Amino acid sequence: MIRASGLVLGALAAFTAYLVAMAPVDSVQGVIQKILYVHVPAAFSAYAGFLTTGVCGALYLWKNDERYDRTAIAAAEVGVLFCTLNIISGPIWAKATWGHWWVWDPRLTVTLLLWFIYLAYLLLRSFTEGSERTARLAAVYGLLGVLAIPLNYFAIELFGGAAMHPDNLERDSLGAGMRAPFAFSVLTGLAAFWHLLMLRQDLEARRLTEALPEADWAAEAGS
Amino acid sequence: MSGAAIAARGLEKRFGRAVALAGLDLDLPAGQGLAVLGPNGAGKTTLLRLVAGLARPSAGSLSIGEQRGHRREMRCLVGYVGHATLLYTALTARQNLVFAARLYGVADPGARADALLEEEGLTAVARRPVGGFSRGMAQRVAIARGLVHDPPVVLLDEPFTGLDRRAAGRLAARLIRLREAGRTLLLVTHDVSQAVPVCDEALVLARGRVAHRSQGPLEALSLERAYEAALETA
Amino acid sequence: MNVFLAVLRKDLLIEWRSRDRVVAMLLFALLVVVVFQFALPGGVTPRTRENAPGLLWVAYVFASLFGLGRAFSLELENDALSGLALAPGDRGWVFLGKLVSTLVILALVQAVTAAAFAVVFELSLLPVAAPLAGVVLLGSLGLSGIGTLFSAVAVGTRFREVMLPLLLLPLLAPVLLGAVRATTALLSGDELPFGALQLLLVTDASYLIISFIAFDFVLDE
Repeated sequence: MIRASGLVLGALAAFTAYLVAMAPVDSVQGVIQKILYVHVPAAFSAYAGFLTTGVCGALYLWKNDERYDRTAIAAAEVGVLFCTLNIISGPIWAKATWGHWWVWDPRLTVTLLLWFIYLAYLLLRSFTEGSERTARLAAVYGLLGVLAIPLNYFAIELFGGAAMHPDNLERDSLGAGMRAPFAFSVLTGLAAFWHLLMLRQDLEARRLTEALPEADWAAEAGS
Repeated sequence: MSGAAIAARGLEKRFGRAVALAGLDLDLPAGQGLAVLGPNGAGKTTLLRLVAGLARPSAGSLSIGEQRGHRREMRCLVGYVGHATLLYTALTARQNLVFAARLYGVADPGARADALLEEEGLTAVARRPVGGFSRGMAQRVAIARGLVHDPPVVLLDEPFTGLDRRAAGRLAARLIRLREAGRTLLLVTHDVSQAVPVCDEALVLARGRVAHRSQGPLEALSLERAYEAALETA
Repeated sequence: MNVFLAVLRKDLLIEWRSRDRVVAMLLFALLVVVVFQFALPGGVTPRTRENAPGLLWVAYVFASLFGLGRAFSLELENDALSGLALAPGDRGWVFLGKLVSTLVILALVQAVTAAAFAVVFELSLLPVAAPLAGVVLLGSLGLSGIGTLFSAVAVGTRFREVMLPLLLLPLLAPVLLGAVRATTALLSGDELPFGALQLLLVTDASYLIISFIAFDFVLDE
């Protein structure tokens, strides 16, 4: 599974890189606009990660199966990774185009908040003793984190500052020749998410089972 | 109220990689007493806390009386006396018992608290904060707390620890009275001699598994030997 | 329901006896007001009055963190937390009992803080006292709802005192936005903005429902 997703990712990445390189340079923004081919997919993957963490946490609480917890931690870490990428690439682009590093518009603010929530999630996990308790408490927090996504959007839409964040995707006003590279870069981003998720999940599984050799139980007398 | 049977199939509790209790089967008829012995870390407290509904089993099933696996309802049927007293030191003995009575929905909590205090011989100190009590006195309040809702099942985790001879004798008599009243008892103890008069069956645990099982009238010597054997494997 | 009342009465009784949480929170809140005075030199200007609602809620958040951090401290001795975990039925009722007892103490502190603010920032709160109390209650429900849950979560971790604010603060954005907006409107003599109320109600309901259900899992071992 991991090898397969790795191969798919490799192929997609290569093809996407080609498309992005070939894509037309934005007449207004210049070459820096191409950073969006990283920024946007990173956002998709980050949200995919956070949703996965929340859902797997809920499933863990319901089914009491630790495999769900493994996916949850993997998704949280990979999600934070992509979110960080998103939060770094955004201001770079913003400074070049709008002239500001940061603006308190809805999407940016919510993404930043989510970043904090999931960092708190990771901190909670590392500060909790006992892997079963960690899984449980983290699942509870992850659930609330996912709930926070729509709540925050609702909140900030109501009161947020000027919505400066471009919503080209919604308005379908992508420049000519950019649709394909964007689509593929999002696909690649999701493929990267999947691959890293699988890798991290596998790492978690191995970490848990290879750790202590199962204690040699003395013979059970009668039963 | 008469006792309730306790049954378990393949009961297991894992804490991450550590297996505290592995695949335990149990069939304790109503009104019987079960002694659970074993070295430290054998899983005795884990078993008790699973039956009390404080922890969720990692695998297997547990039923108390008619309730199968529904921990919310099972907790109504169980009285738990743990290592710690579960008491609030800032509150008086009576207030602690009234709180517990209210928690379990006992009618007329005040009267129930007074009755229990009288049974334990603590009426004189009823309105003193528990913080000032001796270990023995606090233990008695803790036991009263466990019995506040007249549960069909009573769980005790090493209740004789730290008690002087008189207090221990008193406790043993109390437990025998409970058994005679038809309650099901689960007694975790290090001391075989305490178990024998009170219990009908015994379980010796080691490393989370059953090392020895006794049924019928308990015989101190064989139980001691089984316990020693378990200690060696630990 | 019994469980809810039992826990509520017990908490209030202990608090009444020792009064340590209330006094500490009161002192803390008043100190925060004093700190604001120093942090905003130049006296009371229209500008600071504009920011007063926001600052008031900052003070409330600090006071809540203080109070919530101690919500389960009573249960730490003698394993009394297990005593709560043994409660029959849905453990969400234990959560509600704790929540309401915290809110009662918080309400007292909030009232005094508001009075202090009124003095320091020269606000006139009395005409809007009733709706203001309503808004503060809604905001506090959101704050303390998940706050109580996380307080129980933090009890099971190392660095309890640090863990609670870390967990709580990122999730407070919707509550604070709604509460501050509503408070600002009230203090400017406007009508209560419907959007803000809607936000508070939706957030409170979601947070409370999830906390009620999740509490069961948090009390497990």
